[in-house]
Amino acid sequence: MLDEETETQRNSTYRIKLGLQSRISLFFAIGGLLVSIGLSGATLVLTRQQLVESRENSASAFALTNATRLSNQLTPDSSVEDLPSIVDSMTKIEGSQRLIRIGDDWLPSQELDREDLPQNILNRVSELEAGQLRAEINGKRRLILGIPLQVFDAAYFAVVDLSDLEKTLSDLRIILFGAGTGVTSLAALLGWWISRRTLRPLRRVREAAEAIAGGRLDTRLIPQSDPDLNRLSESFNEMAKALEERIHRDARFASEVSHELRSPLTTLKASVGVLESRKGELSEPSQTALDLLSRDLERFNRLVSELLEISGYDAGAASLELEEVNVYQFIRAATRNDNSINYVLPENADSLVIRVDKRRLARALSNLLDNANRYGSGPTAIEVLNTESTIKIAVEDNGPGISEEERKIIFDRFSRGSSSGQRGDDGGTGLGLSLVQEDARLHGGRVWVEDISVTKSETGSRFVIELPLREEE
Amino acid sequence: MSVRILTVEDDERIRTAVSLALQEEGWEVEETSNGEDALASFSRHPSDVVLIDIMLPGIDGFEVCRKIRRLGDVPIVMVTARADSHDVVAGLEAGADDYLRKPFDPKELSARVRALLRRSKTVGAPSNFTFDQLEIIADEGMVRIAGKEVHLTRTEFKLLVELASNNGKVLSREDLLERVWGYDYFGDSRLVDVHVRRLRTKVEIDPANPKYVVTVRGMGYKLQTQF
Repeated sequence: MLDEETETQRNSTYRIKLGLQSRISLFFAIGGLLVSIGLSGATLVLTRQQLVESRENSASAFALTNATRLSNQLTPDSSVEDLPSIVDSMTKIEGSQRLIRIGDDWLPSQELDREDLPQNILNRVSELEAGQLRAEINGKRRLILGIPLQVFDAAYFAVVDLSDLEKTLSDLRIILFGAGTGVTSLAALLGWWISRRTLRPLRRVREAAEAIAGGRLDTRLIPQSDPDLNRLSESFNEMAKALEERIHRDARFASEVSHELRSPLTTLKASVGVLESRKGELSEPSQTALDLLSRDLERFNRLVSELLEISGYDAGAASLELEEVNVYQFIRAATRNDNSINYVLPENADSLVIRVDKRRLARALSNLLDNANRYGSGPTAIEVLNTESTIKIAVEDNGPGISEEERKIIFDRFSRGSSSGQRGDDGGTGLGLSLVQEDARLHGGRVWVEDISVTKSETGSRFVIELPLREEE
Repeated sequence: MSVRILTVEDDERIRTAVSLALQEEGWEVEETSNGEDALASFSRHPSDVVLIDIMLPGIDGFEVCRKIRRLGDVPIVMVTARADSHDVVAGLEAGADDYLRKPFDPKELSARVRALLRRSKTVGAPSNFTFDQLEIIADEGMVRIAGKEVHLTRTEFKLLVELASNNGKVLSREDLLERVWGYDYFGDSRLVDVHVRRLRTKVEIDPANPKYVVTVRGMGYKLQTQF
């Protein structure tokens, strides 16, 4: 059972690993291989047949001619001693030898004696039948022909060397193997190329989808001349357009809502300001009510401005206003020179100039400090680390720390972790950290949170903003 | 004599509330609801500070700003409801001295107005400066280029004097924001950039290749003292 499961698992991973393109290439390669095997096999068999047959035919023709010539020249008194002169006058074939028997005497060839001949052919000839067979003699493939000369109680044997034929066939085999390998590789390449061509529109779709997911909502596919593919790109473009409109509508809505809220907020703030300056004239309950009013007005104001910022990011309208910023001055000003914080700055901080959006980075830093104040019992240290290509700004606190699950969602909008119970009247909007993330991203950087108890003996969190260093444009 | 502030704002509730807040500071407020009325009121009786909302029915805030600027060097504060930087730069280019973004804190508004009123008075530094053909007569608030008088707004004049009194040393945008506008480190440095640009069109012979007010890359601005 367990083995089966592992097996299916392995199978499925195997299938996942092979992409469509690889599979098509593999099919083509297998096809090429089968065709090559078939063709090579047929070629080999046919060629072999052809070669052996023609060799046998010519050999038997010569053997017959020679046997006839021998019988013509033999007399009833002829003995083995007379043979060499007769044999000299016979036609010779390259690689063939002859053995002749008269009575019980044999004329051996240079290489072979009668013992070398297979028994079959001897039997056959002694039964006065002509015969031929292929056999291996002295390690070589040979064709043996036997012709009885009945009148003289003699026999003529021709032994033809077939090993050159074998050599030709083995050369052919090597050539066919090479050709087969070539055809298989070519088929695989062809398959790869065809599938690549076929999949190209799909690759474009993938790239476009990735671009859209990455925020470039105006990405569209180029219309295709192929009607089948064109339908795909049309549907894709329609989907992308609908998505873009939808997202823009949502972002515009958020932006318009927050924008519309600015006017009443202006009136509210001015009016509350007037009331604040005349607070002394108010009765005690009115003063308390005014306090409530102005505190929640501030919170409302902040929520609106953060929503407006966020909707700016969503609509893709947020842009960086880069300027040169002296790191030392920036950090000091952004943290209002808080002496309870331990500043760990690089040695060259006073002369270190980075190109950033000052307003956004200051807000990000201020949001991290706010966060440390709300949930981490106040910021304890600010560290700036400067490498060749990045700058890291870390804010540490000695709070209870953040659980692993919370760390994952802490930068989400309105994510309020387990500490939400402590919130009460803290004035937080739930958007602060997601704005930090958006600001970091807009700079091409990122933000994350670490648990400082990993490296230090105390509890607490460490929020790190990492930004790439930019060259002057 | 009490300080008069002219406000142009089409939203009645905002107009009233802002007026109340300004009156609370002891200033006299002249309320108008559109550009035409504002221009008519200003020509009848020039105010000490003008507060202009950009989105107005009829002629828009930029146009009102340009027209008032032509009538005199009264400090102008633009009020914008939009977050994008286009409005801010366009407002400053139209001649505004400072800007506020809705919803603003009434305390912030009073602070801006006070900073502008301070700037309105003649610069305390009694010294005069001469750099090649550029003459600054600080106590008279006068600037001459090649003997000819150029008219600067108070903000432009203050900016020039701050640069001149720094002995050819560089002032960062943050320094200038603090000295001229009274902002802290996080003031909008576009205020400085746009005003420097405007100043150059007045005191430089070739504003594209400034001879006096020069940019020091990565640092800020300085007034060239060696020629």
